Amino acid sequence: MNKKCIILAEDDNDDQFLFVNFLSDHPVMNLASAVANGEELIEVLENTDDENLPAAIILDQNMPKMNGLHTLKFLKSSDRYARIPVMVYSTYLNDVLIRNCMAAGASLVFNKPEDKDGYHEMISELFKVI
Amino acid sequence: MNAKQDNISALQEQLEHLRIKLDEANETIDAIRTGQVDALIVDDGSGHQIFTLTSADQGYRALIETMGEGAVTMSRTGLVLYCNSTFAEMLGMSLSSVIGLSFESFVAGESKTYYRELFKKCWEEDCKGEVELSGNHVRIPVQLSFTPLELPEGVSLSLIITDLSKQKKLLVELENKNRQLAELNEELETSNRDLLQFASVASHDLQEPLRKIQIFSNLVKDKDFSNLSEASRVYMEKIIRSSVRMKMLIIDLLNYSKLSDNESIPQKVDLNEIIEQVLTDLELVITEKDARIYRETLPAVAANHAQMRQVFQNLLFNALKFSSPSITPVISITAVRVKEKAFDSAPDADGAFVLISLKDNGIGFNEKYANNIFTLFERLNTKDEYEGTGIGLAITKKIIEKYNGLITARSREGVGSNFMFLLPVSPQLYE
Repeated sequence: MNKKCIILAEDDNDDQFLFVNFLSDHPVMNLASAVANGEELIEVLENTDDENLPAAIILDQNMPKMNGLHTLKFLKSSDRYARIPVMVYSTYLNDVLIRNCMAAGASLVFNKPEDKDGYHEMISELFKVI
Repeated sequence: MNAKQDNISALQEQLEHLRIKLDEANETIDAIRTGQVDALIVDDGSGHQIFTLTSADQGYRALIETMGEGAVTMSRTGLVLYCNSTFAEMLGMSLSSVIGLSFESFVAGESKTYYRELFKKCWEEDCKGEVELSGNHVRIPVQLSFTPLELPEGVSLSLIITDLSKQKKLLVELENKNRQLAELNEELETSNRDLLQFASVASHDLQEPLRKIQIFSNLVKDKDFSNLSEASRVYMEKIIRSSVRMKMLIIDLLNYSKLSDNESIPQKVDLNEIIEQVLTDLELVITEKDARIYRETLPAVAANHAQMRQVFQNLLFNALKFSSPSITPVISITAVRVKEKAFDSAPDADGAFVLISLKDNGIGFNEKYANNIFTLFERLNTKDEYEGTGIGLAITKKIIEKYNGLITARSREGVGSNFMFLLPVSPQLYE
């Protein structure tokens, strides 16, 4: 069975590592690639065939150049990417950011987890929207 | 020669005559001044004449002479016919040198135009205006109050001159003080804003590395705990516990700084509902400590729901936390409507404020620390014994004060504490 591909846009190496680490043993989802920011993400997507587009996109909110919300808005305004579920996560969530992300079409908004259980919960929530 | 002699003696005679007239006039003026006679100054077409009335009210005349304001009677052409000594003193001149001169000659240059307008208008009706007078090396800001006097004998003008120097000086001082105050306020606001911004930014940015410490130490614990030495396991646990505590501190600090951020409009808050919710939240601790909680029906207050919840959460949790281990914890919440925002205010069933007391029989504290406990990061107990960030009561106080309330605490060590706070009763308007 083909695993569902996920792309992570995250500028922090530790957080990239953590995602890879906790997603590695997931039976269905697979981290296809990790990029450092929204610009790089779009570049990767532009060079991907339609049939190989990811099953979900995870965006860190605080990234250089194009932040999470900014990237989310771009994706949701594009015919090609609008249908892909997007999760935004951040260390500093607040009500305004959550509202803005949901209004822009995010499927999920999450606080960055502080332990293993947090990651597992977040990943299982993500699996539900794919 | 003879003709010359005659001339001289004629002049001497005239001089003597004038001297006598002058003495008479001075006597009359003295009499007027001392209140022995009253006087009217009358323009009969050929010049001004002074008519004296010996029957006049002496008290009135004496009053004019002794009052603190300048009094002047002026002719139709603006000459000073009479003035009291206060006016002469204002100018630093002698009485005799003032009488007979044009009043305008005492008006400072820049005030002359305005004075002329006043002088023109004042014959029709009473009028007032502020001008600057210029006397003997002095300049005095004054208010002039004109009253035209229409007497059967003719028209003259009564003028009261009020010295405004002191008022002006006070006004300038007041303005200076106000300006200083405004500057200080602005500085304070800026530094407050900076501080809050700092707190907010610092706690935001602290969260990122802290989260890494938490997650990686948890990873070590999950994956390699069994491989660690006995001592390292203890160290690892300490790292994890400290990071949990730091997380708590950061969140509390963020909440504290957020309180100053936005103005929130007070709403009607049902405190009974709030206490119900908080007791549900604290159910576990209450059961664990076998605590008894008594409460009266509380009135609705003008505040914010979530923040009131935080107030009761903090106070009730503290009462439970600092309960005495040897006896059953008893917490009672009572309320009384009072007239004013003061802890000693008289009870009043329709009062604008409610005084709420949250009393416990816990370990208490020395009352000399009663003010300290509401200060940020102030702790009276070691954190090993009692967990906490030292921010809870600071938040509580800030919330209460944000809604125009007051909070204080009474306590005795080993007996218990009583936290009392005042809040405006809804729909009392927020000031």
